[in-house]
Amino acid sequence: MGEFRETLLKNRTRLIVLAALFLLFVSATQGMAREDWLITVLRGLSVGAVTFLVASGLSLILGLMDVLNLAHGEMFMIGAYVGWTVYVRPDTFVDVLTPVTLVAAGLALVPLWRALLARLQLPERLQQAWPWLSLGLGLLVLFFSLRLFPLAIWDPKLYAQSPITFSLALSQGLLTLPEPAGGGSLLLAIGGTLLGSILLGVAFAGFGSRSQRTAPQRIRWRPLLVAAALLVLALAIYLVNTPLTQWLFGMSTTWRFFIAMAVATLTGLILGALIEVTMIRPLYERPIYQLMLTLGISFIGIEIVRALWGRPEFTMPKPALFNGTGEGCPAESVGALLQNQCSTFMLFDGRVRTYNEIFVILVGVAVLVGVWLLLQRTRIGMIIRAGVQDREMVEALGINVRRVFTLVFALGVALAALGGILAAPSFGLSSDMGTRLLLLALIALAIGGLTSFPGAAAGAVLVGLIQQFIIKYGQIGISLPFLAEPFKPSPPLVPASTVLFMVIILLILPQGLFGRSE
Amino acid sequence: MADDNLLEVQDIHTFIGQFHILEGVTVAVPRGGITVLLGRNGAGKTTTLKSILGLTPPRRGKITLDGQELQGRRSFDIASLGIGFVPEHRAIFRDLTVEENLKLAERKKGDFARNEGFIFDLFPDLKRLIKLPGTNLSGGQQQMLALARALVPENQLLLIDEPSEGLAPVLIEQVMEAIRELAGETTILLVEQNFIVASRLAERYVIIEEGQSVRHGEMADLVGDQETIHRYLGAA
Repeated sequence: MGEFRETLLKNRTRLIVLAALFLLFVSATQGMAREDWLITVLRGLSVGAVTFLVASGLSLILGLMDVLNLAHGEMFMIGAYVGWTVYVRPDTFVDVLTPVTLVAAGLALVPLWRALLARLQLPERLQQAWPWLSLGLGLLVLFFSLRLFPLAIWDPKLYAQSPITFSLALSQGLLTLPEPAGGGSLLLAIGGTLLGSILLGVAFAGFGSRSQRTAPQRIRWRPLLVAAALLVLALAIYLVNTPLTQWLFGMSTTWRFFIAMAVATLTGLILGALIEVTMIRPLYERPIYQLMLTLGISFIGIEIVRALWGRPEFTMPKPALFNGTGEGCPAESVGALLQNQCSTFMLFDGRVRTYNEIFVILVGVAVLVGVWLLLQRTRIGMIIRAGVQDREMVEALGINVRRVFTLVFALGVALAALGGILAAPSFGLSSDMGTRLLLLALIALAIGGLTSFPGAAAGAVLVGLIQQFIIKYGQIGISLPFLAEPFKPSPPLVPASTVLFMVIILLILPQGLFGRSE
Repeated sequence: MADDNLLEVQDIHTFIGQFHILEGVTVAVPRGGITVLLGRNGAGKTTTLKSILGLTPPRRGKITLDGQELQGRRSFDIASLGIGFVPEHRAIFRDLTVEENLKLAERKKGDFARNEGFIFDLFPDLKRLIKLPGTNLSGGQQQMLALARALVPENQLLLIDEPSEGLAPVLIEQVMEAIRELAGETTILLVEQNFIVASRLAERYVIIEEGQSVRHGEMADLVGDQETIHRYLGAA
């Protein structure tokens, strides 16, 4: 009992702030209709869920690795664009799979080169020069051979038309899918891509061996096996290109959306692991360089998206499961909702959008529970929690912390990518979507306490709620004392309000809601 | 040096940033028993332990454990050879429970279950506290946990840094008792500021002065040598 009182006393500022926030949101019921309040809360939670997906990874990476990943917003954006491609243009997705798998096959050989290199013991000067040579040559070969693959992404004009027009034209036969390459140029394309990525792999192995003087390792042949398997996979995908595309186009949008979610998450996972191993890892001794590096990656990410998908903003149609508008919609009951797959349903006389206000929140909650279980119930989670406090000591226990770093970075990026595809149908896609969300996520982290996982969740939800309430008050006005007319916050006040809220919280609790003073 | 040394540190030089912290430290730790590193604050005792573990890798010099060279290896790899580290300031993981702290130290599955009996015989308090988060433990209990953590896997060498620092005299007795009992099972390299504690525990000593090992020998000889004690360790 005494312990409980002590805990209460120690956290009293925090508890008072939480109680005050709770009262604030509850008291908002007075100024607006009940259904308005409910929908505003749901919208806030929905924005909060998307923000959380970005903020949680950001916080885990910052906590464990001391890396503030400024490219995290762009990972969110890339998730959205990759998911969109799978969903709206599965043909392009399937076309791209072959070269991507080929590149992966080439890069899979890196461990083999590294082991061979350690044996060779080249002279210093040669060792410094040739990775750059190999890198340049590899990029050159890749540039020309990748162009031989007939990808729609080489023609941004195709993307300038709206995705809906595109799918309509496709279904009416006005448009045909680009034919895959054949004959001699195919062999050249495949061989060139493989050669280019192998050269790239040799370069990476060279850079790696320069930074650490490793003792000669035993040569393992498993990378060769992996590379061979990936090569076979790439060829197999190439052979089933047309049926696979037709199958993806033929399936219901609901399933295609779930596939898009899976592909976006997986892309994030692989991209995250690659960025960590090749770029973040060599800079562990130089935190400022890491910050500059992630900032650079974010700019490059934006430009890549602009180059591949074009500048215009996209929309993404919602999957069929959440897009019914026919008879029986908006649904009046849960049964009707499930049966008619309505896009909206009635809740206390208010229209709630099924996808935005239910599905997005559900996914957010699922990720929250999943990551929480990972952190609390698994050995990896234990290592992460311990590493947030003292990495050196974890390493001194005989645990390879760097492997966990890679995992956490990959996981964080994967969650951001999942957030991107999840947000795409409700918020649309644009090349600045990542930057905007990163700002929101950073504010959420500051509010919640930078490296606290529950803090990231609470901060994200609070940011979402504040934002949506201010938007709502902008429509209906809020009666304030000493003001004759209801005050209507103008749209520019919406982003300002979250920042202001952060300032207030930080003045009262400098470590954030769940942060810990060190 | 004799062949029966478990750990040999030969003339290591360690830099932290631009600072040349260790300027030639040589330590030989024979198998079994306790060897203590003595010296003033900032002499480089802790850095010596960290250099052995590769946490602050030495730039020059040679370190061997049981004949295997350690320099150039990553910390986790060195620790996995069977080195347990009990850092100063009782660096346990505050957000983890006592049980999680111990489980984290496992190198093979079931390490903790195998040595549970031995650990709880030595530190009966910990059994009672097993579900509590580390942040709720008292200073003495944290030191016990830090020691216990090093006993979970099979270690052939324990590096213990300042175990008596900041503890009440009663607790110091308890910690010394535990360390003495451990010395029967394994080899210990100890860093200890408190000369009384050090002299009662260790059989051999190495004195480090301004980043260099300046003197070593049997503890029994040092205890009578007031001049050396005064010169290198200050008032004793």
